[in-house]
Amino acid sequence: MVSVDRPTRGYRVFQGVNGVILTLVVVVTLYPFVNIVARSFSGERQIRAGEVTLWPKGFNLTTYKIVFQDSMFWRNYGNTVFYTVVSTAVAMVLTTCYAYVLSKKQLKGRGILVGVAVFTMFFSGGLIPNYVLITSLGLKNSVWAIALPNAISVFNLLVMKAFFESLPSDLEEAAQIDGLSTYGILLRIVLPLSKAVVATMVLFYSVSFWNSWFSAFLYLDRSELMPVTVYLRNLISGATTGGNAGAADAQLSQVGANIQAVTMVLTSLPILGVYPFVQRYFVSGVMLGAVKG
Amino acid sequence: MKNAGHLSRRQVLAAAGFAGLAALTGCGSGDDGGDAKDLSKKRNGAMREYRAGQRFKAAKALSFSVLHNDNPVYPMKNGWLFWKELTRRTGVTLKPVSVPLADYEKKRSVLIGSGDAPFLIPKTYHPSEVPFVSSGAILPVSDYLDLMPNFRDKVGRWKLEPEIDSIRQADGKFYLLPGLHEKARSGYSLSLRTDVLDRLGLTLPTTWDEVYQVFRAIRAEYPDRYPFSDRWSKNTPYPAAALFSYLGQAYGVRAGWSYDNISWDAKAGEFVFTGATDGFRQMIEFVRKLVAEQLVDPESFTQNDDEAVQKLLGQKCFAISANPQELVQNYRYNLEKQVKGAKIEMIPVPLGPAGEVVIGGARLENGVMVSSKALKSDTFVAMMQFVDWLWYSDEGQRFCKWGVEGTTYTRSGGRYALKPGISLMGSDPDAPKDLQKDYGFYNGVFAYGGSWELVSSSFSPDEKRFQDAMARREELPIGPAHPLQSVEQEQASLWETPLRDHVTQNTLKFVLGKRPLSEWDAYVTELKAKNMDRLVDLHNQAQERYKKENG
Repeated sequence: MVSVDRPTRGYRVFQGVNGVILTLVVVVTLYPFVNIVARSFSGERQIRAGEVTLWPKGFNLTTYKIVFQDSMFWRNYGNTVFYTVVSTAVAMVLTTCYAYVLSKKQLKGRGILVGVAVFTMFFSGGLIPNYVLITSLGLKNSVWAIALPNAISVFNLLVMKAFFESLPSDLEEAAQIDGLSTYGILLRIVLPLSKAVVATMVLFYSVSFWNSWFSAFLYLDRSELMPVTVYLRNLISGATTGGNAGAADAQLSQVGANIQAVTMVLTSLPILGVYPFVQRYFVSGVMLGAVKG
Repeated sequence: MKNAGHLSRRQVLAAAGFAGLAALTGCGSGDDGGDAKDLSKKRNGAMREYRAGQRFKAAKALSFSVLHNDNPVYPMKNGWLFWKELTRRTGVTLKPVSVPLADYEKKRSVLIGSGDAPFLIPKTYHPSEVPFVSSGAILPVSDYLDLMPNFRDKVGRWKLEPEIDSIRQADGKFYLLPGLHEKARSGYSLSLRTDVLDRLGLTLPTTWDEVYQVFRAIRAEYPDRYPFSDRWSKNTPYPAAALFSYLGQAYGVRAGWSYDNISWDAKAGEFVFTGATDGFRQMIEFVRKLVAEQLVDPESFTQNDDEAVQKLLGQKCFAISANPQELVQNYRYNLEKQVKGAKIEMIPVPLGPAGEVVIGGARLENGVMVSSKALKSDTFVAMMQFVDWLWYSDEGQRFCKWGVEGTTYTRSGGRYALKPGISLMGSDPDAPKDLQKDYGFYNGVFAYGGSWELVSSSFSPDEKRFQDAMARREELPIGPAHPLQSVEQEQASLWETPLRDHVTQNTLKFVLGKRPLSEWDAYVTELKAKNMDRLVDLHNQAQERYKKENG
């Protein structure tokens, strides 16, 4: 901290400019979201006529009622929660173990293990081989098809490895002398000290699993198994491709703009609700790394 | 593989190894299903005698897998009456693999590419079946038409052979069972605010010259507004794709979203390059005239649909492209709420130099591909008979579209009416049930095409008038079959895209006046530099070769 009684003139100017710029950024990022929320409470006609901006026009709750009554929406919503929880748990266990191992400098073949992970960042088997692999393993139409292929994000792995490396090795040596096994050290010493990075990783993983749709779309064959993101995607892009030439007329009816808005709001709500609480750890995580030096 | 739940490490490794092998060998195992022509061992469940007009009934309970395009407007339900009644009538249970509509094509490619596709793959638009042909993953269905009496009957009766020829591949076979229409159904045309026309003492235009005059009169009355602002410029590969498509008809050319680089010149008896024809130039000249005199909003070619519709509803323009659904459900519905006394009508496509014609070849719809795996099954014959009944028999088509007589609809004197309490695409907003959502009929996967009587049975009064007028017009002849061989196909697709892009870009430049039409010859020279002539030659040679080989 700077120990000055009054901020300097330059600093105050900086703060002012900073405030203005950040407010603009906030407005720009917030506007689309506020607009969607306003649409979700508006009448279909007002949306189509382009009247809705920041405040609902033709206020009504019927759209919410319609979406609430759609059993498939709730079913898919439940699937998303389930997939996110299971996938995040699996991902956290695997990433933590892998990262902890990699953080040990004395480990033989460490370079190869890092190389294996990094290799997958740049090269992948491709769509169809992956599909054949998942299908032959019998994972299709199960939560494992979503959880396992994306269990380790190499970026998260490297961040976690760097964090573990920054922990003082003296701590672990002391624990070892006091008779703790390798697993004991990880569970009782390292992890309790790593709450910040663990919370950050949980946040990263759960947000990405919550928002992901592609592997679900690829490996699941029944609509009652789909996560809500696939439901949402179909609702939105399905509605805008209706104007194709030659499309059978049965395809031409459209999903209302207000229904789309409600679904979007409901889908992003949990992430919005969770973020502020996890953010505390997120910030302290950054601080923790800084102090260690 | 087995017991998917618990896999030991060794099993996982073994499975991974097998999967790799399967992926490697999968490509080469196209035709090991025994003699493809000998079907005597594949008649399990089939009918001994199956004729056109006869209901298919499997000799024993069968089930076939089918790819199902899941439409968000009517999400698939397992409890649909459609599935139950289908099983009751035919003894066949369909096992749908549900794929969200938004990414249907992507998943279809993955499933076919990995050898995991269901037996039946509907909702495929020609030519998207072509990339799968060389892999051997889909069946040349033309080899098995003797199992499909209804299909052959309709092709013969409606004289669809030239259309069918147009989807044949270089081996003379076709790989897609297309939807068949008795008559071409027109989709799009111009819609105009008739109350404004009445006030100005104008009549509905029937030719493009009259359209021009009407626009001029509107502009004279409202000098600060564009009479016409159009849509269908976003999410389509072409600007103002609908407008160019129906305007092109008046000049006898395929343009907009009907555009094809190659088109048949019936007079010269050869294929020519569409974007360099006289008709195409005249069409561009006409639109240029409209833009130059500020009768068309220049934003028409770039704005998105909502913006265009908002201009219509806000009375910033008085004409817009329409299809019958958009006319009734969007424009008219919203205009009546917003503007007092507003009336809007869709006119039959205005006429031009080409006379009373419509572009040919519009009588085929999307259709069904059959996975090659199906041929190895002992129920193959029954499956083809079933496909023939469901998609091509009168009874099957009526069933897919309207459902069960007495339960979902009634019919008297050729008129179909939904039972009270059932709605279809908003026909009765207060009805508790919906034909698509709650019963699974009128589903785009199964219900399309058919006789004019069946197709027109669901027209609104507006559409009926429009379609009747259009159905009186003569269809332009379509070109003879000219399938490319696979090497040629690859070569052609390398040339196709740059040519197409050049045509689209310059169409826009000419129309907006960024490039004067006096540079037309220079534009044609640029097309030549992009291999226009070689592409045309390729198709003309293919046509001669096909004629020599297949008579």
